[in-house]
Amino acid sequence: MPARNHSQWLAKPKLEGGEWIDSRVYSDQNVFDDEMERIFKKVWIPVCHESELPKPYDFRTTSIAGEPIIIARGPDNEVRAFLNVCPHRGMLLERRPSGSFLEGQPSGNPKRITCMFHAWQFDMKGSCVYVAREKEGYQDRLCKEDVGLRRLRCEVKFGGFVWVSLDDNPKISLEDWAGEPFDCLRKSIDAEPLEVFHYHKAIIDTNYKLWHDTNSEFYHDFMHYHNRVTGFNDAYFARKNFAFKHGHVVVGTFEVNYENYEGFESRGALSFPHLPPNQWYMVDLFPGMNFNLRGSALRCDVVTPLGPDKVMIEFRGLGLKRDTPEERETRINHHNSIWGPFGRNLHEDLIGVAGQGTTMRPHTEPRQILHGRHENQTIHDEIGMRHYYDEWGRWMDRLPNDPDQPWHERNPGESAEAAE
Amino acid sequence: MSWKKVCKATDVAPNTLKKFWIDGGIPIVIANYGSGFAAIPPMCPHMEEPLEISGVISNCVLTCTKHLWAWNLATLEQHGTETEKDIKSYQCKEENGDILALVEEEIVYEFDDEDDMDDDSFFAKS
Ligand code: FES
Ligand code: FES
Ligand SMILES: [Fe+2]
Repeated sequence: MPARNHSQWLAKPKLEGGEWIDSRVYSDQNVFDDEMERIFKKVWIPVCHESELPKPYDFRTTSIAGEPIIIARGPDNEVRAFLNVCPHRGMLLERRPSGSFLEGQPSGNPKRITCMFHAWQFDMKGSCVYVAREKEGYQDRLCKEDVGLRRLRCEVKFGGFVWVSLDDNPKISLEDWAGEPFDCLRKSIDAEPLEVFHYHKAIIDTNYKLWHDTNSEFYHDFMHYHNRVTGFNDAYFARKNFAFKHGHVVVGTFEVNYENYEGFESRGALSFPHLPPNQWYMVDLFPGMNFNLRGSALRCDVVTPLGPDKVMIEFRGLGLKRDTPEERETRINHHNSIWGPFGRNLHEDLIGVAGQGTTMRPHTEPRQILHGRHENQTIHDEIGMRHYYDEWGRWMDRLPNDPDQPWHERNPGESAEAAE
Repeated sequence: MSWKKVCKATDVAPNTLKKFWIDGGIPIVIANYGSGFAAIPPMCPHMEEPLEISGVISNCVLTCTKHLWAWNLATLEQHGTETEKDIKSYQCKEENGDILALVEEEIVYEFDDEDDMDDDSFFAKS
């Protein structure tokens, strides 16, 4: 094929409308702002795992759509989520990434969340329990009962992950949101308590969806030398992608022959409960979460979009809580040899999306991004991305291949925003 | 009910507080207020603050430095404008250089706990 001049380069591809998208979806600030309002403030996000706050008064902080969040386990063992914002003058209540409220703070008491600014305090249920010199300043005009924290929807589900929604009245319950795609994993991850044994994060100059796209397409196994030389067999090419409502995708199981991999061993002995030896399942949840069970280790990625061209990705590895130290070490080894920061695949995936981020910085010329491979839904079919952007268009009311155009005008009869 | 030895009188310097455990578990704070000793449960009755850490004593008055609740340790009366609850104490005496406390059972304060609402009613409130 000859190279193309500028107008040839800009001409629409010879593919159908849903088979390519416009790169402004990845680079435009307005698109990004809309995504925060229309998607991230409405959906369920797995912000951490309950094993990361094992004891009463343990907490973690994080954010969704730029809103700071605190997750704390109460003395009753319930995990609750609150906006990490003081009702007085808007100070960030807790600045540590994680820790325990059991011990007091310099200006606060044990078992309380304390705002360091003017010493207001809150209990593990979000009630305000102390306002410094309350009567002197507010007389009877405002009292503790009026200034509780904002509590958020929070559920522990699907293997012990802590799911939070910024929407008090989500259109879709967590069960309806993710129950069906999780069906294939549920027996394995809900059989007994899991525990996080690995955590790291990457902050990459790229759009969050490019990471999710990479998790949803296996065609890029051409980048993973090891996968290419050891995995490309009939069973590999027979694996299928299954699309679920709400934009989720599941990639079916196949048996990995770890013995063929130099330096790798079978994971049969440590496979998760009810999982046939050495099997592999993967769940991609809209709008950017991935759960990947490779026999002996569960990996979970969660994206936190920081801008059109910046994303934080948190990586967790999980095993069974009851692991012996030896079992745990083996599991960590299985996990890290592939998915650790120096593992077989992960850094290559990060190089891939960082390269895309470089070509799709804000204000670069819009480009066409092709999602047009059809192979009967098998492993190199790009159905996962097509399914995602179909859902994305609905929530955003934007056409993925022409994001300034409303989705609903081209899809009459179907309602924009969350289907069903 | 019996008198229990908690510590030696010389273990707690004037105008300081120190925490001890008696009977293998009950925590007691001994406060030396200069003209005598008081034996109190370790927590501030306001918000569970450990008084052996955040309490200061001056002129017989124990003040919790967190929010300035204060009590006269000789009379156990409330002191100052912030204090809203009485302090509780064990009877206490000095005998042959030892500090003894009369302990029947551990003294604890009641702290109120907010009721939790089930999620649906909570998020439906307006
Ligand atoms: S801003 Fe938090 S107490 Fe004032
Ligand atoms: S905790 Fe002691 S005065 Fe508030
Ligand atoms: Fe990959």
